[in-house]
Amino acid sequence: MTRQEELLALIRNLRTAVPEVSGVMVASADGLPIVHDFPEAEAPRIAAMAATSLGLGKRIATTLRLGELQETVIRGQSGYFVVYEAGEKGVLAVALPGGANLGLVHFEAREAARRLRELL
Amino acid sequence: MEPLKILVAGPVGAGKTAFARSLLGEEALTTEAKVSEALGKETTTVAMDFGVLPVGPYRVHLFGAPGQARFDFMWDVLAEGALGLLLLLAGDKPEHLPEARHLLDYLLSRHPIPHLVGVTRLDLGRAWEPEEVALYLRLPRERVVGLDARRREEAFRVLTQLVEMAVEVHDA
Repeated sequence: MTRQEELLALIRNLRTAVPEVSGVMVASADGLPIVHDFPEAEAPRIAAMAATSLGLGKRIATTLRLGELQETVIRGQSGYFVVYEAGEKGVLAVALPGGANLGLVHFEAREAARRLRELL
Repeated sequence: MEPLKILVAGPVGAGKTAFARSLLGEEALTTEAKVSEALGKETTTVAMDFGVLPVGPYRVHLFGAPGQARFDFMWDVLAEGALGLLLLLAGDKPEHLPEARHLLDYLLSRHPIPHLVGVTRLDLGRAWEPEEVALYLRLPRERVVGLDARRREEAFRVLTQLVEMAVEVHDA
C-alpha cells in the first residue's frame, strides 16, 4: 500500500469502529489537509482550525502543567470536534454528533493517532 | 499600570514571532508547529504569540497572529479589543505585498485602529525600502518603518511608537 492508501485505510477503519463519526481529518501540524472525508470546500479551514486548536491546547497544557496534551475537545450544543496529536508532524480531528460516546471515540481515535504518528 | 492590547500581524516569514521573542525573551508564549511547505523556515505559528511587557506607564498585552491566509479566522479573534496594529512585512519578499495590503485593509475595515507597518529583513538582497512599501500600501511615509525584528531595541522602538499613537487616539 502507498502511504496515501494507508492513510485512507486508517480513516475507513476509524469510521467502521465508530460509525457515528461525521467527519475525519488528517492534517499537517501546520494546518494543511492531508486526507479527510469532509466536503472539499470546507477542508482547508477545518485543517487550519484543527492545527490551531491543538497548538493552543499544547500551550495551555504546558502553562498549566497538565502534562502532555492528549486531545482538545470542542463541545457545542449539537456536536463535538475533537483534535488528537499525531506526532510532531500531524493532527487527527474527528467531528461527532451531540450524542456520541466520547469514551469509545477517544479509545479508537487515540489508537488511530498512534498509527498515524508512524505513517507521517 | 493600564493594560493596552496590541496586535502584530503580517504575511508568513515577516518575523512576527521573532519580534515577540525579542521583546519578551523566554516569557514569550508561542504556538509553533513544524512546517510542511517550502517556506524557508523550520517552524510556523499556528495559533498565536502572546506576552505582557511594560511600555512607559502601560502594560502592553502583545498578541501575534499566524501569517498564512488559512489562519485568517484567528486575525479577527485576536484583533478584538486591540488598540493598535503593527503589520510586519519582509522587505525581501515583495511577492507578499498584495497579501499584506489585503490583510491591512481587512483588519482596518473591521477594526479601525492606529497602525504602523514594519519592514523587516532589510539587510537581505534587493529588499523593498520602507518608502517603497508606503507607496505600495498608500500609507503616509511616517506610518512605515524599517526594523530588525530580532533586535530588542529596534522592536521596542517600533512598539513604543505604536503605543504612543494608540494612547493618543484612545484618550482623545
